[in-house]
Amino acid sequence: MTRFIIIRLLQAIIAILGIMVLVFFLVRAAGDPMELLKNPNMTEEQFELLKARLGLDKSYAEQFWVYIGDLAQGDLGTSLLKQRPIVDMIGESLPNTLKLTIPSFVIGMTLAVFLGMMAATRRDTFWDQGVKFVAVLGQALPGFWVAIMAMLVLSVYWKLLPVAGMDTPAHYVLPVGTMIFFMLPGMMRLVRSCMLDVLDSEYIKLARIKGLPERTVIWKHAFRNALITPLTTLGLLIPQLVLGAVITETIFNWPGMGRMIVESTFARDFTVVQAITILTAVLVLGVNLLVDISYAYVDPQIRFQRS
Amino acid sequence: MLSIIPTIEDKAIPKPKFSGLSRGTRILRGLSLYIPATVMVLLVLVAIFANLAWLGLPDVGISPYEPNKGHMRDRLLPPAFMEDGKSDYLLGTDRLGRDVLSRVIYGARISLSVSLLVILITAFIGTLLGITAGYIGGRVDGLIMRVVDVALSFPGLILALLLATIIGPGYVTVVVALSVLGWAGYARMVRGESLRIRQSDFVAQARVNGASTLRIMFKHVFPNVLNSLIVIMTLMVGAMILAESMLSYLGIGISAPTPSWGSMVADGRNELDRAWWIAAFPGIAIGLVVMSGNFLGDWIRDKMDPRLRQL
Repeated sequence: MTRFIIIRLLQAIIAILGIMVLVFFLVRAAGDPMELLKNPNMTEEQFELLKARLGLDKSYAEQFWVYIGDLAQGDLGTSLLKQRPIVDMIGESLPNTLKLTIPSFVIGMTLAVFLGMMAATRRDTFWDQGVKFVAVLGQALPGFWVAIMAMLVLSVYWKLLPVAGMDTPAHYVLPVGTMIFFMLPGMMRLVRSCMLDVLDSEYIKLARIKGLPERTVIWKHAFRNALITPLTTLGLLIPQLVLGAVITETIFNWPGMGRMIVESTFARDFTVVQAITILTAVLVLGVNLLVDISYAYVDPQIRFQRS
Repeated sequence: MLSIIPTIEDKAIPKPKFSGLSRGTRILRGLSLYIPATVMVLLVLVAIFANLAWLGLPDVGISPYEPNKGHMRDRLLPPAFMEDGKSDYLLGTDRLGRDVLSRVIYGARISLSVSLLVILITAFIGTLLGITAGYIGGRVDGLIMRVVDVALSFPGLILALLLATIIGPGYVTVVVALSVLGWAGYARMVRGESLRIRQSDFVAQARVNGASTLRIMFKHVFPNVLNSLIVIMTLMVGAMILAESMLSYLGIGISAPTPSWGSMVADGRNELDRAWWIAAFPGIAIGLVVMSGNFLGDWIRDKMDPRLRQL
């Protein structure tokens, strides 16, 4: 087990280094980053000064060492636009993103598991049809449009909910709802199909033949096994969560990481976008590592096969 | 052994009913094919015939107006079916007096061309890497599949934003951003299939006959992957149109005056309190087209490769 974890950890570190190298060269291959900062009001001298301060006057090799060294020390660099350390900017916006993401994740997952289970155990009933219908809509309607239409009806016409801000619980309803819209359909469908698979297995039939009450069969025998696959695909939920956070924060003017990266993109503040890209890579690989380890923990076959 | 076990009433999984489909069900099943198929055919026709000028023909087409031409006297007019609407503008006009219907029609071009281009690029790369991983196996397989794992769980949006920061927003940015990670899904599926096909007798036979690895990969493995590949490609049409609209909504897609459905919704967001139609109609177009694409993809999958169900 230890060996397995170490191998996986090393692989993850190599992958992160690979992504850092890729990002470094991508930013520079597309042209001189200084081109983005050119400003007609700037004198030649100021321009050279700025270049030197950003370390862009050195050779690529030197720049690369500085970049890797800074990252290793947890220094993500300075925002070109705001002239502030990126770590400070993230320190301000990350809590706001978490305030949005954590409730959405908890509510969304609970809903997905509950609805998926209802659909699987009551197949071809109202529940099942309802879940399928929501899944079809959720995979076809663009989340940003649904959020805007909800805003139109609930905030503009009926004036039930505020449009933007984050002071009262009412301010959370629409943003959290939008986030849930992004992750619910996929997860719900997955829980449903895994539960159906499990219900079809021999040991469930045996449990029923033994005469166990249906409640015990479903919640004690089937439920836990049905959740293994959804748990191992949590890593695949990250893209949905990031997409949901960026879109939701942009629509509702939520001062989090998502809005920060979109604003930095339009300001061409490449140091900020670069830093967030690398942080995302660390998040993705970290979650995948945790999922791998927990999976190996749950399922001994994986542990022995690979180490 | 099994036959002595009494059959139990399995409430959860009723046996599939093959006979006695009610008439209503049959009609519904038919509709779930014909309506989406009609929508997709209409989409293609609308995109082609919006205006014929690009084919070198006279400047006529089904689009009532030029998408970027503002009618200064007719700004923010509601759709024709509403009280103050004018019959000249069926779906109303926007802040600059541009016809919403014409813009929705031209937006179809962007959605369709981006999604087709991305699907061709990603399917090509994914197939190449998938066959290599599945057929050659070993370390090559291990490496490719690790990259696939990362690509599948890396948020494409972040990459798109990084690209937009470096090379600026635009058509190319969208296509590249969607392609860079999009191949991974194809690679995983093709690899699985290739692993299976590698075991078959005809591949062994070819190897005995002295066929080269490349020849086996392209003449023997590839044709057998093709069915599944086509299924995944059709299933991706909706997903790619949706992804393109998200990127355009955020503003990293096709630049300003050219209409795309996502950017139209973004425009409409600012006029929400006085002109809901600017945001509403392009969104309905996206939803309708994506849903049709998904239904059609499901249908093709059930016909060509039912094993891919539950994917």
